Amino acid sequence: MSLRIISNTNFNFLEQKRKALLISGLIILLSFFSFLTQGLNYGIDFSSGYIVQLEFNKDVKIERIKESFTENSVDNPIIQYYGNQKEVIIKLQESNTYDQNNINNFLSTVFKNYDYKIQKLDFVGSQIGSELRTKGEWAMLVAIISILVYIGFRFEFLYGIGAILALIHDVLITVGIFSLLQLQFDLSVLSALLAVIGYSLNDTIVVYDRIRENANLMHADNPENILNKSINQTLSRTLITSLTTLFVLFSLLLFGGIAVEYFSIAMIIGVLVGTFSSIYIAGASLFFLKVLEKNEENQQLLD
Amino acid sequence: MSAYPKWKYILVLLVLSLSIVYSMPNFYTSYPSIEIQKSQNSTNISELNKIISTNVIPVSSEEKTDKVIYRFSSIDDQLKAYNNLETANLANEFTLFTDRELPEFFETINANPTFLGLDLKGGVHFLLQVDEDNIKKNLLRENEADIKKLLIKDRIRFSLSERKDKNFSLIFNDNDAYTRAFELIENANLSGDYEISSEESNLQIKLAPSQKAIDYDVKSSVTKNMTILRNRVNEIGVSQPIVQRQGKNRIIVQLPGLQDSTRAKNILGSTATLEFRLTKGTPEDWYASKLSGSPLISSSKLYKQSNGDPVLLSRKVIVSGGEIRNANTGFDSTTNSPAVFVRLTDYGASNMLNTTQSNIGKRMAVVFVEKDNEKVINIAVIREAFSQSFQITGLDINEAKDLAILLRSGALQAPMEIVEERTVGPSLGKDNIVSGQNSMYLGMFLVAIFMFFYYRTFGVVAVVALLANILIIISLLSIFQATLTLSGIAGIVLTVGMAVDANVLIFERIREEIANGNTPNTSIYSGYKKAFSTISDANITTLIAAICLLTIGTGAVKGFAVTLVIGILSSMFTSIVGTRALVSLIYENKKSERLSI
Repeated sequence: MSLRIISNTNFNFLEQKRKALLISGLIILLSFFSFLTQGLNYGIDFSSGYIVQLEFNKDVKIERIKESFTENSVDNPIIQYYGNQKEVIIKLQESNTYDQNNINNFLSTVFKNYDYKIQKLDFVGSQIGSELRTKGEWAMLVAIISILVYIGFRFEFLYGIGAILALIHDVLITVGIFSLLQLQFDLSVLSALLAVIGYSLNDTIVVYDRIRENANLMHADNPENILNKSINQTLSRTLITSLTTLFVLFSLLLFGGIAVEYFSIAMIIGVLVGTFSSIYIAGASLFFLKVLEKNEENQQLLD
Repeated sequence: MSAYPKWKYILVLLVLSLSIVYSMPNFYTSYPSIEIQKSQNSTNISELNKIISTNVIPVSSEEKTDKVIYRFSSIDDQLKAYNNLETANLANEFTLFTDRELPEFFETINANPTFLGLDLKGGVHFLLQVDEDNIKKNLLRENEADIKKLLIKDRIRFSLSERKDKNFSLIFNDNDAYTRAFELIENANLSGDYEISSEESNLQIKLAPSQKAIDYDVKSSVTKNMTILRNRVNEIGVSQPIVQRQGKNRIIVQLPGLQDSTRAKNILGSTATLEFRLTKGTPEDWYASKLSGSPLISSSKLYKQSNGDPVLLSRKVIVSGGEIRNANTGFDSTTNSPAVFVRLTDYGASNMLNTTQSNIGKRMAVVFVEKDNEKVINIAVIREAFSQSFQITGLDINEAKDLAILLRSGALQAPMEIVEERTVGPSLGKDNIVSGQNSMYLGMFLVAIFMFFYYRTFGVVAVVALLANILIIISLLSIFQATLTLSGIAGIVLTVGMAVDANVLIFERIREEIANGNTPNTSIYSGYKKAFSTISDANITTLIAAICLLTIGTGAVKGFAVTLVIGILSSMFTSIVGTRALVSLIYENKKSERLSI
């Protein structure tokens, strides 16, 4: 006998639609609140500034480094250890004390008593930062619109709306959690969000495909039954795919290093939320959009 | 059920073997290397060995008939050795390159390893932007001069308003002058170069450079600066540097392997040049003339020497950096101090000759000019007349080297500003490769274990397809010479997780069909058939999102988007066509009652 996590399930997901919507609604509300009050913790990609990763030849004390910055009239740089006490990551705002041309010289003044190597130095000017933000916002918008058009064309317009609702739900919550926890929001997180859009839709489409197929097979049935049956039939696939995707994402988080850390976190959140939404939200939104009522009416006319 | 068509087997085999061949070059080791040409009076091998191994040990070296090759374990070592050779001032030509143990067969079919991004091999990435304000300011100054000339020629009386950031105004005393000037400007057909707006009520004409003229200047500055940056980059001594235009006013410069961006910044963005001036009077005279108002003050200017002492130089420039045709570093034959050997253009040479001939015994100064910073690097007595070639001392060896590079490469047409920098140290680059590989192995392992236990034989088929998928992605990246970055690797890893989705969809369908009481072969057939449209719909939407990502177009994001796009396409092939071929191979001729799924 083959191995199954779940088979022939018959959960009544639609019954819990109000509960699910309430939970999602609350989280989204919380996200909005956090977004408005504390905003996003933008990385330098979007906000401009410097990130420097230094490797010293021996353990260093962060307070001491902070002091040497203060001595050179730079107050409160953000400094943290990376991996061990020999490596630190320093975040600096743009300042009059140094510019992109002499930042290296400035660092060698600050660290004149240390032996160090620059492992990484990123600088993003304010113009580039705001450009990247605009480009990112446009890419999101264009992605959402072109997907809406594609689904509208392949399914029906209302399915498209349903899919977009599920997708916006996923993106909002992922961004919301980044705002709530004040996780660093940079270009890699933006990539992750677009990948989440792709992933979330992937999931939703699989469910919708089944709904459409079942709607044709079970004319007479009421929308709730059709939706429930479809979600149950695709449930094992939804969970397995989430599982394999989470496998690789946790591998990335574990081994991928700092460059893909926030990417992995964003995707993990996105995949979890996306899985929830394709089970609870995608179907429910079709119910509220009354997509399948037409089906029922047709059947009544035939009778 | 009809047999699976033969041509599909052939297609799968063909794609698989092509991707094996084209991904192969990635699995051969490559060494950062230096190639040194041998010539008649060049340094011998043992000498070369000694020069190179002062602070690095090459992995291997190989002597050929016309050249010697040194291989190193890291780019860091390679650049150190290169620096050693540079300082040694050899007669030999030497170049940086990457040596691979790649059989020649691969070169004949144009199979190359993937191009690694800077975050994987270490190096410096700059985005430089032409200073548009500077261009506007220059245009404004030129425009003002031109208009002045035009009006003065026709003897129209006017006064100029103060020059603002964006425009300047002509102010007239009477209506007649205003009308004549207005007609003159109108007839001169300046509308392409100027924005003209007249304010008849207060007898003013406001003029500004047109956007078209500014755009044109920006474009030509970028083109000119590209050439100069290329010259400079080639002098820095890294292998495979990239200089590329981005958008209308930006240039990307990538210098693989460079550990410290300080020198690159000093050289790339530098607008430094030299001026040769005669000394004129003493500082004491100057202070005196400042009080008395004698003519000295208008014909000379006070400079600072490198030791801080003031010196008075003529305002007239004998020769400036633009007249320098070539510059090299070396050492002064008598004092053995570092020197820049300069060769002037014919025009510059004749100026120099005229000046030196008539000023023997006087002193001449070399002034280093960078933006508003002017520094006298050397003052020497003119002992004899000279013209084309001479030497400048007064700098340390590194300063001399950099100055020679700047003089050789020419001056930037417009100043450029670094608006983005990404520097990754070589060792971090290596760490990143290892991180990428490890996360790939672990991800792959977890997915494979799961698929095997969950779908048995079919799971194995899916995992084989997954491996083939990775191979195809790598070969496509190599064929298109797309840049592989760490985020690109993340894209591949993500594809691994998501690619099995297609197989999960198919296999779940097959299970359903079996549960509905269908025969194994029919179940396989309809499983694949029913899942197909779902799979393609799902993948196309992800593809749309990935393509939107591509439009953001910046390094890390682009790398991710490219591998995601390639991954989606190739995974559709392997998980639909590929697994189907394997499944058919296993089950087609068996009249088995049960599928291992």
